[in-house]
Amino acid sequence: MSREPAITGLGQTAMSVRPGGTASALAVEAVAAALADAGVTHSEVDGLLVGSSQGVRPDRLGVGLAQQAGFGDLRLLEHVEIKGATTVAMIERARYAIRSGMARTVVCVFADAPIRARGGAGSTYAHSGGTSGTRGLERASGVLGSVPTYALLAARWLAVTGGRPDDLCEVALAARAWAVHNPDAVQREPLGAADYHASPMVSAPLRRLDCARPVNGAAAVVLAAGADGIRIRGTGREHPVRRRRAGAESWFGGGRRAVEDALGEAGLARADLDVLELYDPFTIVTLCLLEEYGFCEPGKAGSLVASGATAPGGDLPTNTGGGQLSGFYLQGMTPLVEAIIQLRGAGGDRQVPGARTALVGGIGGRLDHHACLILEAS
Amino acid sequence: MKTADWLLDDALAPSTKDEQLGELYRGAARGELVLPFCAACDLALELEQVVCDGCGAAGPVWRQASPHGRVHSVTVVHRLEPGLVRTRDPYPVADIELAGGHRLVLAPLEPGTAPPAIGDTVSIGFRRIGDTAVPSFRSEVFPPSKESR
Repeated sequence: MSREPAITGLGQTAMSVRPGGTASALAVEAVAAALADAGVTHSEVDGLLVGSSQGVRPDRLGVGLAQQAGFGDLRLLEHVEIKGATTVAMIERARYAIRSGMARTVVCVFADAPIRARGGAGSTYAHSGGTSGTRGLERASGVLGSVPTYALLAARWLAVTGGRPDDLCEVALAARAWAVHNPDAVQREPLGAADYHASPMVSAPLRRLDCARPVNGAAAVVLAAGADGIRIRGTGREHPVRRRRAGAESWFGGGRRAVEDALGEAGLARADLDVLELYDPFTIVTLCLLEEYGFCEPGKAGSLVASGATAPGGDLPTNTGGGQLSGFYLQGMTPLVEAIIQLRGAGGDRQVPGARTALVGGIGGRLDHHACLILEAS
Repeated sequence: MKTADWLLDDALAPSTKDEQLGELYRGAARGELVLPFCAACDLALELEQVVCDGCGAAGPVWRQASPHGRVHSVTVVHRLEPGLVRTRDPYPVADIELAGGHRLVLAPLEPGTAPPAIGDTVSIGFRRIGDTAVPSFRSEVFPPSKESR
């Protein structure tokens, strides 16, 4: 029997913008849904990979989930952590474990519950990070949460590329246009430019509508050997290990190798891809990745998005569930879940007709880690 | 007499005994900007870097660095987290390229500082959060060379 793995199950919880649920309880629910979707039982699972929100929070998910979720004798059990690139890394890890014979049926799960009764997710993030090391100095400089950091990146990007702040608006509008048709999206009201410009500034140039909408939720997928499901055609990584020094850029110019390695393994070209599912915690990141992954010329991402190419009906459908911006922010699971839905033809009113191939991108840190998958419908 | 920082609550004060940045904070207490350089080739190292990426030598030396620099990027933070942020007004934060080769993300020394523009020159001073002196920037271009929000 073939050891080649396929994605055979997908499970999600409801995506909630209100307090409720612990990460582990949400993970257990998503795992059960994924197993049911794949038609396998707990006893058939011999691998579990767990991803959690980075940062030291007492409730973060870990390998203890194996016990909580009722698993038995496992051949593979790991907590995978490369920040936002973790989900793609879990799929890669599961793929190689199945190919090698180490495991036959592997569950990958991510859960997060940043929204608490006494404060929203923004407050949770603002209070996370401690006072030590480089992060401690940044926090002592008023960099609370990740928005100011990405605002610095965005301001630099606009200055270096000659981009316009309105390019950020175009990304937000395109994401929302997809989310309107995604029942799992937490922000589905139609959005216009005036609504965007009325959105409160968080850290200039990023407004609230430039930022992902955190949720309490979980998603899980099942990979199985020799089964019928979504095929993993290629993977690629790039970890540039950047240096922050005077006189040089420190955020831009990474990730293309990850895409090209994944496409190379798949034997496909960019033009063969039917949907792009990119990691989009902030509007600026969509612009950066469209350029850095080679989907447009340098400096042209803003005009590409403004042309409607990435929006519903465009010829480069991107973040077709609304992404993290308007869909839900479950880190790397957000683009993976949407790719699976599209390749199953289960996207309902947002389905890209005939979608058979997808790029899934994950980034970690401040564009420090890039991990890509090429997926193909069964 | 100890006075409170204009920007942040004391809960955000780093410790002068910080395992990684203790040298920086002890230098700041003396009014000096102290940063890590490679002991062998003098390359400016990142704050948590142990081995030089230029020559491979291990063991940074922390020494006084030039307190002058230029703005690499800048934002104005409008979200004022209750309990952590003291000022009631949006405040600038700048990513600064220092003359000695380092980059630091810093707040303004004084309240009411207009956001500098990318490329503007700044100098480094020190404000106190709790008992810890923390490097901060002072604009040297008045008014900023272009409008920033």
